[in-house]
Order: sequence, then C-alpha cells, then structure tokens
Amino acid sequence: MKLFPSLFALGLAATALVSAAQGSAVVTTPQVRAELVAHAPEGLVPGKPAWLGLKIEHKPHWHTYWKNPGDSGLPTTLTWTLPPGVSAGEIDWPTPKRLPIGPLMNFGYEDTLLLPVAITVPAGFAGDTLDVKLNAEWLVCKDVCIPESGEFVLQLPVNAATAGHAALFAAARAARPQDVAGADAKAAVEGPDLVVRVTGLPVAWQGRELGFLPETVGVIVNAAKPQTSWDAGTWTARVPLDPQRSDSPTTMPLVLTSAGEVAGLRVAATVTTPWPAVAPPAPLPALGNAEITLAPAAAAPPGFVLAVAFALVGGLILNLMPCVFPVLSLKVLGFARTGADRRAQLAGGLAYTGGVVLSFVALAAVLLALRAGGEQLGWGFQLQHPAVVAVLAALFTLIGLNLAGVFEFGSVLPSSWAGAQARHPVADHFLTGVLAVAVASPCTAPFMGASLGAAITMPPVQALAVFAALGLGMALPYLAASAWPALARALPRPGIWMQHFKTLMAFPMFATVVWLVWVLGVQVGIDGAVALLGLLVALAFVAWAVGSPTLGPKARGGFGTAAVLLLVAALVWAAPALRQDAIAGGSAAQASDGWEPWSTARVAQAQAEGRTVFVDFTAAWCVTCQFNKRTTLAADDVKAAFADKQVLRLRADWTKRDPAITEQLTRYGRSGVPVYAVYTPGAAGPRLLSEILSVDEVLGAIGAGR
Amino acid sequence: MQMLARTLVATTLALAATAALANATVGQPAPAFTATDAAGKTVSLADFKGKHVVLEWVNPGCPYVVKHYSSGNMQGTQREATAKGVVWLSVNSTATDSRDYRAPADMAGWMQQQKAAATATLMDADGKLGRAFGARTTPHMYVIDPAGKLVYAGAIDNKPSSNPADTATATNHVKVALAELLAGKPVSTPVTRPYGCSVKYSSM
Repeated sequence: MKLFPSLFALGLAATALVSAAQGSAVVTTPQVRAELVAHAPEGLVPGKPAWLGLKIEHKPHWHTYWKNPGDSGLPTTLTWTLPPGVSAGEIDWPTPKRLPIGPLMNFGYEDTLLLPVAITVPAGFAGDTLDVKLNAEWLVCKDVCIPESGEFVLQLPVNAATAGHAALFAAARAARPQDVAGADAKAAVEGPDLVVRVTGLPVAWQGRELGFLPETVGVIVNAAKPQTSWDAGTWTARVPLDPQRSDSPTTMPLVLTSAGEVAGLRVAATVTTPWPAVAPPAPLPALGNAEITLAPAAAAPPGFVLAVAFALVGGLILNLMPCVFPVLSLKVLGFARTGADRRAQLAGGLAYTGGVVLSFVALAAVLLALRAGGEQLGWGFQLQHPAVVAVLAALFTLIGLNLAGVFEFGSVLPSSWAGAQARHPVADHFLTGVLAVAVASPCTAPFMGASLGAAITMPPVQALAVFAALGLGMALPYLAASAWPALARALPRPGIWMQHFKTLMAFPMFATVVWLVWVLGVQVGIDGAVALLGLLVALAFVAWAVGSPTLGPKARGGFGTAAVLLLVAALVWAAPALRQDAIAGGSAAQASDGWEPWSTARVAQAQAEGRTVFVDFTAAWCVTCQFNKRTTLAADDVKAAFADKQVLRLRADWTKRDPAITEQLTRYGRSGVPVYAVYTPGAAGPRLLSEILSVDEVLGAIGAGR
Repeated sequence: MQMLARTLVATTLALAATAALANATVGQPAPAFTATDAAGKTVSLADFKGKHVVLEWVNPGCPYVVKHYSSGNMQGTQREATAKGVVWLSVNSTATDSRDYRAPADMAGWMQQQKAAATATLMDADGKLGRAFGARTTPHMYVIDPAGKLVYAGAIDNKPSSNPADTATATNHVKVALAELLAGKPVSTPVTRPYGCSVKYSSM
C-alpha cells in the first residue's frame, strides 16, 4: 500500500526532531487521514489513566468498520510496539452506525473516528520519554474498497501531561456503548428466528424504539429490521437467523441503539436454547425452489434502431471514401457501357449486395468470436496487424496501377478464369462485393471505428445486424442503379472521358497506399516501411511485366521471369522487417511535446496528487484521431491551458494491439478510438469528450473555459 | 435535510431488497438457476446433476479478489477442482451502474488473462443469482453436491487479509470441503464467514 504523506505530516516531521528521523504520527491516503494520538492528562504514571488512540478522518462517504463489520468489510486492527512492561488493551470501539449497501448491511464509521486503547505503565518505569510504534491496518470503502495500512510513531513525555486531544478522547468515551448495571438479556432460537429479551433497561430508554447490533459476527441477517415490542419492562426483538450462520456462541454481546443517542447500551445476552445444526431440516424457502431465469447480460439497448440507421447512412458515405470511390464509380460506369438486359443487371446488383453484406457480417463475426474467446480487440483490429496493413497496401498498389493503365487484369488472369467470369456473371458480381469490402475496410476503421466499436458491445445478433446495415448502405447506390436503369441512363454518355476518369482515380488509390505505409511505419518502424516500399516496387514490376497490354509475348516471358524472381527476393528480404513487432518506443505517439505514455497507475497517482489528467486514446490508423491531434490538441490556447493548469497529458497508443488499452476502453463503454478522457480532482469518474474535439470543449473540461 | 431524505430512501431500499437476499441454506437443495455466461451461452445448475459444483463470486475490481488471483490461489483451486471433474462457475453479480462493472467480453478477457480455470463465468448483473444464494462478498464460495444440495457456504480461506502472501499459509476451506466430499465424507466445516468487498448489487 502506497501512502502519501501530507504536507501537514511533513511539517510535523520537520518540527518533531526525534520522530522525524523514524517516522510520523500521521498517515494520509486519498481516502483518510489517520493520526496516532495520546491522552495522559497526569503524565505516564503507574495507576493514572493513559490512552493511545488512532484518529481516522474519512473523506466524505468513505467508511471503516466496527469489530463486527456486518455482511462484508473487515475491522480495523492495531498492532502496538511498546517498551517492556508497558501494555495496551483492546480497542474501546465507539457505537457504530448501520451502513446499508444495496441488499447488504455493514456496521462502521464515517467522518471523524477515534479508536481509543488504554495503556498501563508498570511501577518503576524508567526514562523521560516513552516511544510508541503502531502498525494499523484498515479497510476503507465507499463503492469500492481499499485495504490500507500505516506505520505510526509517537514519542510521549513521561513526567508531563499530554492532553492536546482531550476533547477527542472525551467524545470517544461519550460514544462508547454503556454497560447497564442490573440489565438481564436472554437470546433464544425460535424457528428461523433469534428472539432477544432484555429487562432492566434504564427508565429513559423504556418504551423507545430500539435497534440492536450484535458484536458476534455471522449469526443474524444483518440487513433485516428486527420486529420489536415492549411488554411492561421487557424489550423483545425478533430477527431472522442467518441461513449461512457461521458461529454458535453461548453468550451474545449486543449493542442496543436508540435514535438521537450517541452511545448505545451494551448487554450480554445468554443463549438459552441449543443452536440448530447449521443445516436445519427447515422447509425450503419459497425462493429456493423457484427457477430463476437470468436475462442475457445486456438487454436491447435503446440505441439499437438508431445504430442501424447510422450504419446505413455510414455505409452510403463509405462509397465516397478515397479507398472505395474509384472501384465503385467504375463499377457503376459499367452500366453506361453495357446496357445489358434488366434481369441480368438486377441479379448482378443483388449478388454484389450479398457479397458486401456477407463480407461485413463475416468480418464482424470473426471479431466477435475472437472477443468471446477472450482476445482484447476492438473494431479496427484488422489494422493492428502489420501483415494486414502490408497486404492492403499491396492490394491498393495493384488497383492503382490497373487504373493507371500499367497492366490489364485480362492479360494476367488465366483464360479459364476469364471464361468462368463470362459464364458466371453473378459469381463475379458477388466477388466484386467481397473485394469492395476488402478495399473499404481500412476506411471503416478510421472514420467509423468508434461507432462500430460501440456496436460490438451489443449482443451478438444485434451487433451483426448493425454491420449488415452498414454493408447494405454501402451496396445501396449500386443496387439502385441496377434496379432502375433510368438512373444508369442519367450518367454521361460513354466516351474518352471514361478513360481519363479511370486514370484519375489511380491517384486516390496511391494516396491511400502512402497512408498505409505510414501506419506500418508507426507499427514496425522505418525499416519495415522501407521493406514494404521495396516490396511494392517489385510488385509493380511484376504487374507491368506480366500484365502490360503493350508488351509482346516474348518480352513478357523474359521480364516476367525476372520480375517474379525479384518479387520472391524482395519478399525474403522484407519479411523479417515486417514481422519484427513493436520495436521499443516505436510508436508515433510516444512521449513527446509534454505527453507521457498512459498507464492506469500513472492516472491513479496523478489523481492522488490532485492533478487534472487528460488522456488521449489514439491510433496511427485512426484519421479522426490524427485530425484532432493536429488541430485541437495542437492549438495554442489548449497548449497554454494545459501548461497553466498543470494538466498531466497521457497518450494511450492503440496503433498496435494493447490489451490494457482495450480493457480501459471497454470500461468506458467504447471499443474504438478516439476516446478523450478527463479526470478532474473531486469528480467521481472521468468525463469523456466528443470524438470530434473542439478547443472550447477541452478548455471547459479542464476548467479553463473562456 | 436532503441528506436525511437520501438516507431514508437508501434505508428503505435496503430493507425492501433484504427480502430477496440470503435464502440458500446449507444442507438444503441449492436454488435452481439458469444464467448466461460471458460467451452468451446459457448455463443451468440442472446441467450438472451428478457433479460437484463450486460457485465463486468474483469482481476484478475488488482487492480481495485480486489477492486470490495475483497469488494464483484461486486459479490453483480451480485447476485442482476441475481436474477432479468438479464444475467451477465464477459468478460476477456486479451491477451495470457500478464502477466495477465489466461487460461480458471484458470479463471473459480478464479471466483469460488471469489464466483462470473456471468451467464458465456467469454474468449476473441484475444480481438474481447472487441474491438467491445470499452472496455478500467477493470472493464468496459455495459448494453443491451431486444431488444438488448446498454443502458449503463461506470464505475461500481462514485468513481474512488483503495480503497475497497469506494464501500460502491459510487453510483453503474449498479445497478441504472438496477433498472431504470426493472421499465420501461430510464437509467438516460447512459454513464460514466470507470476507472481502461487498457484492456490488444493483439497487433495484
């Protein structure tokens, strides 16, 4: 347990010369401030009262536990190291509070607490000072529990009074449960209940509504409200026994409580009946037999219909992305050229749609299956593997070269395949759909990663439906054109412009290749990027040598053989550089410009120091992330505010697979980037900013709003 | 005043919820249940008739759960049990509105990361299963015999600390109970007091 000494503790250590060398009387954690205190108004003289105590000041809503902590929790323990002959007694526990948590009940303390312990000094104790050492362990809980401990040191004068905390000790004394002379308490097991009967209570307490807290752990149902009644001077309370009772005491010390009384009354109830066996042959509780059917962990989120609608629109927009537009536009232009019969066109459109939708669903199913198998993945996972990035770069290079007219597929493909294409136009259209998804996938991740990431957290059937809708949206323009030839006829007449348009479309393809090479460079470093570029050159050479329409058969054979050999050599040379994973510090988002690498520990540490934390969850392949990084996060106002407010800036780079980041994203309810999280001191949890980040939003979140 | 109102509401909710908690009784048939595991599969207690079944309440956000996983104690107990044909079901009853909540895939990922050897991880975000068994803490352990009778309820071991090193010297109640059961003997300590964090039930 890491403890953070407060400024106060440092100041104390600086003034208290002796204890400064060994430790301090104060331990401060983000949840409590704990201090070892003493009360010896007449000095440490044998026979005179002397007390030590641990004072615990809880931060609001945090609590520690009583000797019987209730359904969960643990009592605070104190282990003393005292000079020979000096002894410390048990903790004199103040009357605790009932602390309900859901269906459970705890007994403990909030706010300021003193746990006093009486000490005895032997006759003839020599020395001017008495050194006290304490090791304390406590469990502090709010909605989470944190086990903490502390080492405390205190030096007390023997011959002088120590009374700086007199009021605190007086308050603790006033809050300790009072023993009642002449009171008689009995406890009896009656069926499933424990019945407590108490007589001889003080007159002032008679007739009042009382509660009770057992000091014995694990006997009654702590959360149950006892049925209580007064009959003349006898108070009776009936409370259900814990079906999982873990103790069978002969005497049960009880603390009776009354609203408005700081201190309870302590009575020791004698148990007058034998305890039933822990497994009593009682009738089965009604609930016990009932078949409980638990709903699937996540019921239909209200946003499902909306998610489907967004996916449909997103799919439509996908057609305009630089990686998809060239391929698709040419496909649609095909209508203008062929003018084939309507039925064949419609069949082709449907086949294409099927290819697109099924490919998206298959991709999503692979992702969901991997996640169910425990893989820490999110949408965009395809691009986290260098090999996938390299293959996509090669694919785009080939398509670009084809569009630029460097080679024709017709001269590359075996004639049997070309024949099959003519015989099975429907299959051809289906495969075009598959290709379209392969080409589109690097664009879905950067532009729609976050929203598709959210879909993954839905139940599988719904998630797949969202991806199917995405595919449908993407296929819709082509499907529409195939179903209504009027649309196709609206296209300009075929002509030489189509050849120019086709060549023009090669350039967005090459631009996509540049981006993919950069992503690969971030993943595996400059050597990997160069290896990929070399590979692409060899590939282009092969494409030209084998597929150029202007080469004769002889030249094709010669160049082709050389080109293929070159490609094989390039593969052998490039493969190690591409496989080489995660060169240390190789990511673009590493510590730079005041940003530090993210870790949960770093966040927790900064929070404990009371600093505001801004976390940027990003990836090189995420275009939105890069856009925000280069605009909003690089804005002078934002940089100045970060410096002014001493905001700790952390960057979590998800370019490569990172289970810790995936886990954190899931905790935020996301499974894609970008995510921007701001932790401010005092706030319960982080605040997530929007994916398209604005300067005002960042300034507002870190408390530097204009 | 607002504080008082909030306290009253919380108390009332707690009392209302109490009725649904802690009805499973050692020596009696365990409550039948059907739940969904982290992979979305349906799991019923009835599926395991004829086998010993261990239920383990788990919450990766709880330091006491972390104690038993970081020390390897829980995984070791799981492996030893499942190797003997015992069915081990880890149950996460953390409510969706709790800070500790994990989505099913996330939970499955955590279990895999811990190299846990549980037969299945059940997602119980609405707390029905937890309330039926009266699970209070994480960890909280239950053993059901092949006839479907609840034969152990309580702690994983006898050292209620957060120190992982203590697992080496503690008496593991679940190992003892399973050894006794597999030897045809009754469980010598059928109930102990569980220790750990409260189960983060939904307040519904």
